[in-house]
Amino acid sequence: MKPIRTLKISISGVRGVIGDSLSPPLLTRFAESFGTYLNSGKIVVGRDTRTSGEMVKHAVFAGLMSTGCQGVDLDICPVPTVQLMVRKLGARGGIAITASHNPVEWNALKLIRSDGCFLNSYQAEELLSIYHQGDFRKARNDKIKQIKRNTLGIPSHLEQILKHYGPVKWKGRRLKVAIDCCNGAGSLMTPRLLHSLECDLVSINTIPDGIFPHPPEPVPQNLTDLCRLVKESEADVGFAQDADADRLAIVSEKGVPIGEDNTLALAVKFLLSQERGTVVTNLSTTQAIDDIAQVFNCRVIRTKIGEVNVTETMKKEEAIIGGEGNGGVIFPRINFARDSMVGITLVLHYMALAGSPLSTLVEDLPRYYFVKQTVPCPSSRVRSFLNLLKETYSREKMDLTDGLKILRPDSWAHIRPSNTEPIMRIVVEARSEEAAQVWAREIIAKMGNG
Amino acid sequence: MNLLKISISGVRGIVGATFTPELAVNFAQAFGTYLESGKILICRDTRPSGAMVRSAVISGLISTGCQVIDLGICPTPSMQLLLTHLNARGGIAISGGHNPEDWNALKFVREDGIYLNALQASELLDVYHQGEFSKMPWNRLFKLEERNDAIERHLSKLSQNLECEAIRKRKFRVAVDCCNGACSELTPRFLEELGCSVVSINDSIQERFPHDPNPTPSNMQQLRALVKASGADIGFAHDADGERLGIVTEQGVPLSEEYTLAIVTEIELSKQAGVVVTNLSTTQAIDEIAIRHGGSVIRTPIGQAYVAETVKEVGAVVGGEGSGGVILPKIQFTHDSIAAIGRILEFLALEQRSISKLAENIPLFFMVKRNLAASPSTIYANIQELRNSIETDAEGSEVDYSDGIKLSWPDGWVHIRDSNTESMIRIIAEARDRTRAETLADWAQSRLRLRDVSD
Repeated sequence: MKPIRTLKISISGVRGVIGDSLSPPLLTRFAESFGTYLNSGKIVVGRDTRTSGEMVKHAVFAGLMSTGCQGVDLDICPVPTVQLMVRKLGARGGIAITASHNPVEWNALKLIRSDGCFLNSYQAEELLSIYHQGDFRKARNDKIKQIKRNTLGIPSHLEQILKHYGPVKWKGRRLKVAIDCCNGAGSLMTPRLLHSLECDLVSINTIPDGIFPHPPEPVPQNLTDLCRLVKESEADVGFAQDADADRLAIVSEKGVPIGEDNTLALAVKFLLSQERGTVVTNLSTTQAIDDIAQVFNCRVIRTKIGEVNVTETMKKEEAIIGGEGNGGVIFPRINFARDSMVGITLVLHYMALAGSPLSTLVEDLPRYYFVKQTVPCPSSRVRSFLNLLKETYSREKMDLTDGLKILRPDSWAHIRPSNTEPIMRIVVEARSEEAAQVWAREIIAKMGNG
Repeated sequence: MNLLKISISGVRGIVGATFTPELAVNFAQAFGTYLESGKILICRDTRPSGAMVRSAVISGLISTGCQVIDLGICPTPSMQLLLTHLNARGGIAISGGHNPEDWNALKFVREDGIYLNALQASELLDVYHQGEFSKMPWNRLFKLEERNDAIERHLSKLSQNLECEAIRKRKFRVAVDCCNGACSELTPRFLEELGCSVVSINDSIQERFPHDPNPTPSNMQQLRALVKASGADIGFAHDADGERLGIVTEQGVPLSEEYTLAIVTEIELSKQAGVVVTNLSTTQAIDEIAIRHGGSVIRTPIGQAYVAETVKEVGAVVGGEGSGGVILPKIQFTHDSIAAIGRILEFLALEQRSISKLAENIPLFFMVKRNLAASPSTIYANIQELRNSIETDAEGSEVDYSDGIKLSWPDGWVHIRDSNTESMIRIIAEARDRTRAETLADWAQSRLRLRDVSD
């Protein structure tokens, strides 16, 4: 087998492995493209804790300065903080230096526009054209602006959250909260947030040195340390963040991960119990969201996968909450971004309001079972596989917004090609684990025959 | 005109045109690869583009596994001194030196504080052109370290090597023009510590260059007025990074940049006879001073690395170039204009002399410098053609081919060579009287049939 190519320049930005494909000149050129695309102006830059972050940051600043941009350096901070600061400072754009949930050797640039959202696919295409054309803006010596260091990112972000939600009391006492920040950017903010919410804190992996103690994706298999911590410390709840603190995973007081999809479900249920409004999420997120919304007589709009697709739809529909099933909660009143600190705040307030243990709140959520599978699929076969499945399920209700989604009364299947690897992602959700398994096997078998 | 020049003097170009961040990143990667990682010091002068170049250089060096120590804005000789003190593997000075403000450059320093020599520079270029740079994985990247003690160290090294008490006693009044460059902090402090009453202009690193940073008489008009108005004992002018020094006498006369090395040579040889090293284009006054004190002169091709290496090799007592750069080997093997200031003040104090008297003691020569625009495709052929016809045309002269062509007669000399920093041919002629110098320059120019583009 050929070695997997690690560099990916796509509408999601540029991503690669340090010491391999992601080199300083490439990053500088990409930053020059962005500076050219935005026609100079103020650009806010933040990074997660990866050891390569400093190298990447300087490559980015060299590119931004050479195109006449005014760089603002937030240095290490969560991605949602960068997004918030872009809006607060009235910047023309932002760059978040983070490979998010990817392993430690990766890094990436995520490009943010003036409203704090990531570039959408059309904007990213425009940017890529500039990158490929290579004809960048060149500022003269006297037009080069010195980088401004800004240390107000995290304080502003905290202030913005605390403006809406204050300290929490649970049955008249303080909550005990366990956290695992994976030594990522959340290390600098999450403990402060929990102190402000007047919770008692037990923490692991809050040294922002970028040495990840486990893979940073907040999925159940990476949460074993946190589960143990919750049990041993008898915490009321445990929270885990990825390296850039946009995604949130939760562990119940019993020391059991509740599943990433339930992060959004809890947040939505809490908010809709307080006020009515539209919810936006992507096609691959649990149907529990629809069931919850139905109880409160609210609307759910589904979008293509990708944070920007959710946020843009939220803007258009004036949604009150939204997010993604991977643990990304978006609450526009506080921040127009997937924000794990907002997720933590909403969940804690839900616990306080309900006065019940977290496990009870999770049990009360509509119960579904997921099967997530990936099947190798070269890009040349993607269309024929999808067409085959469309024919197979032609009599059923379908959504073709992003790959193929087949909708049944109490289950669904979503089949789409990955943006980043030559694989097909298959997600099936049903009322029982077995039903989900059966359907997933059926789909994979069809693909095998194709 | 091609505004990028990659040579023994480093990589230089105009920001916003040829000197791009990719170029700086790539050269930093090449340098890190060439040195096989290790501790690398960087510093910069005050040009606005310095911050951009700095980031590019930091990124490129870190990616090749270097341990980068950033000294921020500080004189190049302060960086070179700290580099040897810290036993670092190398350094990059980000400075356009005496070039106008819209230029910038990378100057590569090796572990002994001297710039890469021609062979090393060409090895570095091979690494750059091959483009296969070291790429370190995430767990072999060093954190950037920032230090601000380079100036302190420089000051203490200077005070250890000067008779400070004697200087303090004289209570000099000194005028200084730092051109808002990298010496803006160091030199006024240094002078104050020497008990001088300092009258300084253009000493803010926040401000732009008030004039061209090359410390030649035409760029010392402001300093000259300051010396006169303040009644200073002497005036000093710096370039942007502390390599070149210009002098104004207490009578308000700006001395030609050729005088700087000649004056320091007079000072050093009067204390101890020995070898002086300078380049082929530097004034003949150096030879006369050496003869006077029973010393000798070694001439090298143009370029600080040649002079510095020779100074070190032969154990010279002083070295430098006619452009205003002085090497005092007791301090370090690089151009250090601050050290030169110290030496001059020390001598004036000990000998109870005035700078104008000292300057009068320098044999008088007239120098003519011309810059002839030549396209890169013709420079070599031009010089070669001249070389072929010399045998018949320049009878009776002594010929030196070590850098271009230098022809010397008993009453003067002319040196024709290609510039290290720009696409042009330089003619330098010197004689005891102006007419003879002009005649020699005219002769060379007519042979080359090129237009003079000097200001």
